[in-house]
Amino acid sequence: MSSAPMGAAITGGTTAAREHVMTVRDAHKTYEGRGVPVHALRGVDLDIDTGSFTCLIGPSGHGKSTLLHLLGGLDRPSSGSVTVLGEHIERMSDAQLARFRAHRIGFVFQFFNLLKGLTVAENVQLAMSFAGASAREQRSRTDELLASVGLSAKRDARANELSGGQMQRVAIARALANDPEVLLLDEPTGNLDSASESEVLGILDGLHAEGRTIVMVTHSLEIAARAERIVEVHDGRVLA
Amino acid sequence: MNDFKLVVRNLLGSRSRFALTLVGITLGITSLVVMMSLGAGLRAQIDKQAADLGANLIVTPKGWCAYEQVKVLSGTQLPDAIPAEDLAAIEQLEGIRVLPYLTVGSAIDNEPVPVTGIRMDETVASKRWSLAEGEVPQAEEALEVLAGAAVADSFGLAVGDALTLRGATFTVAGVLEAAGTGDDGVLFIPLAAAQKVYETDGRISFAAVQVDDLDAVDLAAQRITDAANVAVVSDRQLLASVLSVVNTVSTTLRIIAAVAVLTAAFGIVNTMLMATFERRREIGIMKSIGSSNARIFRTFMAEAATYGVVGGLIGLAVGTGVSRLLTPLIAQNEFTAFVGGARVDAVPPLADMALILGGAVVVATLAGVYPAWRAARLTPVEAISYE
Ligand SMILES: Nc1ncnc2c1ncn2[C@@H]1O[C@H](COP(=O)(O)OP(=O)(O)OP(=O)(O)O)[C@@H](O)[C@H]1O
Ligand SMILES: [Mg+2]
Repeated sequence: MSSAPMGAAITGGTTAAREHVMTVRDAHKTYEGRGVPVHALRGVDLDIDTGSFTCLIGPSGHGKSTLLHLLGGLDRPSSGSVTVLGEHIERMSDAQLARFRAHRIGFVFQFFNLLKGLTVAENVQLAMSFAGASAREQRSRTDELLASVGLSAKRDARANELSGGQMQRVAIARALANDPEVLLLDEPTGNLDSASESEVLGILDGLHAEGRTIVMVTHSLEIAARAERIVEVHDGRVLA
Repeated sequence: MNDFKLVVRNLLGSRSRFALTLVGITLGITSLVVMMSLGAGLRAQIDKQAADLGANLIVTPKGWCAYEQVKVLSGTQLPDAIPAEDLAAIEQLEGIRVLPYLTVGSAIDNEPVPVTGIRMDETVASKRWSLAEGEVPQAEEALEVLAGAAVADSFGLAVGDALTLRGATFTVAGVLEAAGTGDDGVLFIPLAAAQKVYETDGRISFAAVQVDDLDAVDLAAQRITDAANVAVVSDRQLLASVLSVVNTVSTTLRIIAAVAVLTAAFGIVNTMLMATFERRREIGIMKSIGSSNARIFRTFMAEAATYGVVGGLIGLAVGTGVSRLLTPLIAQNEFTAFVGGARVDAVPPLADMALILGGAVVVATLAGVYPAWRAARLTPVEAISYE
């Protein structure tokens, strides 16, 4: 729970941007659904240190996923600023965001979100193709990645023939396809049994040790306790 | 992993829908090919026929409609309606050459055969016929026949054969080379012999007139109608009226085909929209791991275009086959009767095939634009949060 001193971020100016891989300032997100607008985020301020392992916790529906989507460039804030890896998410075009997601961010979802019709290897290769990797690069790197998550044997299996734990490991391999500096995970173990859960967490520990920045949403305080820092999201805000 | 693989997977992901959509576009293209080849074949035939008319003016009895005038091209039996005095009056006129025709009918082995009385030498020269065998009948009242290539062929007529027309025995004196026109299906006999055997009292059916001075065609027409109680139609008018009939027919055919293709296009739109909806989540996943809008758009467009390519190719093959089967039927129908024994070319030229295939791809791709745009426009979050 060693959160970075807030003062540094506010007074640090340009140096702060360098040590913080992510900076969120007064970010709001309002969903203009049918009927009443939903204020999912109401002024989030957050700094994430380069190479840190952070867990986002908080009650359901309070904006954890929404915040993670902003950090991953899946969506833009309604107001305020979100700066990730030096890029201003709120100012980027759709095409710029797509390139940003492809090259610099790895995203893992609670429900795996693999493409069911494709094989394990194809799921990983598809992500590489979005970053413009050649077919040969795709093949060799996919084998490497699947080995690192212990799924070499399932290379040519259909994604929908796997167990939940296996699917989530494929999803992690896919998130790492383009060797991103930042890995964002939205309740990656929410649907896993405890054995699969510890497998996945073991992989994440390894990735953290490699120096990647990890931000993970979780409901489990037990899991959160493994992180360097816990950030609580409550009612669309980050509690200091 | 490349787009091609992805497109194939997506298309085959729902095989029955793929097949159904394909049937739609295939039917559309098939009907287009059939309609176009029949329409184009008819038109080409008419053009040739009219070009071979070999006359600037056609003199017909008063009151003939366009349909009867058009029949002049075929050798079909027409009433003998221009009396000898009128013909004589016209032949008095200077600066024109008159080729009278008396179209009558007969039958060989119970099959109707058109028989036409002509002035042999003049007509042979003006139509630039050449003989396959035998010679052109010489005497004016000779009971001799000059047979068109197609009739000679279908009834096995050879020089020296005898046949009975209206109770009189005629001998085949010559057989013509095929000219590719309605003339191929006609038995020609000397005009005087025809008038005598068929007892027309010197009357003829119509006359083709060649005008010496091509700038004075209208004047010649005027002088003919002044001299005799007849109507005159110019080759250009005749051609125009034939073409207008053909054009109406082939325009109708084209509209039918266009409707079929359009219906198929809506089938593609519908299928693609359904796919967009069903694959919402998949699209969101692809986007959240870095796919650009452009790439999503491209994949959907490629899927739509595939319908055009595959449906177009199958449609071309089936359409060509169907045209071949239909040609003999079409060649016997009432409207095309005047095309005579000439065949309608059932296979559209290669350039047309390429055009049709290109058109199919363009239509299918256009049909994909809206669904592809809808798919590309989805934001990753809204697509993913959709359950
Ligand atoms: N695409 C959307 N359209 C409209 N409202 C949305 C959308 N996504 C989220 N919301 C709303 O925004 C609020 C925050 O949602 P969010 O998913 O960020 O919560 P969460 O903290 O991740 O919850 P959980 O722990 O259940 O995953 C909720 O009220 C939710 O209903
Ligand atoms: Mg959530």
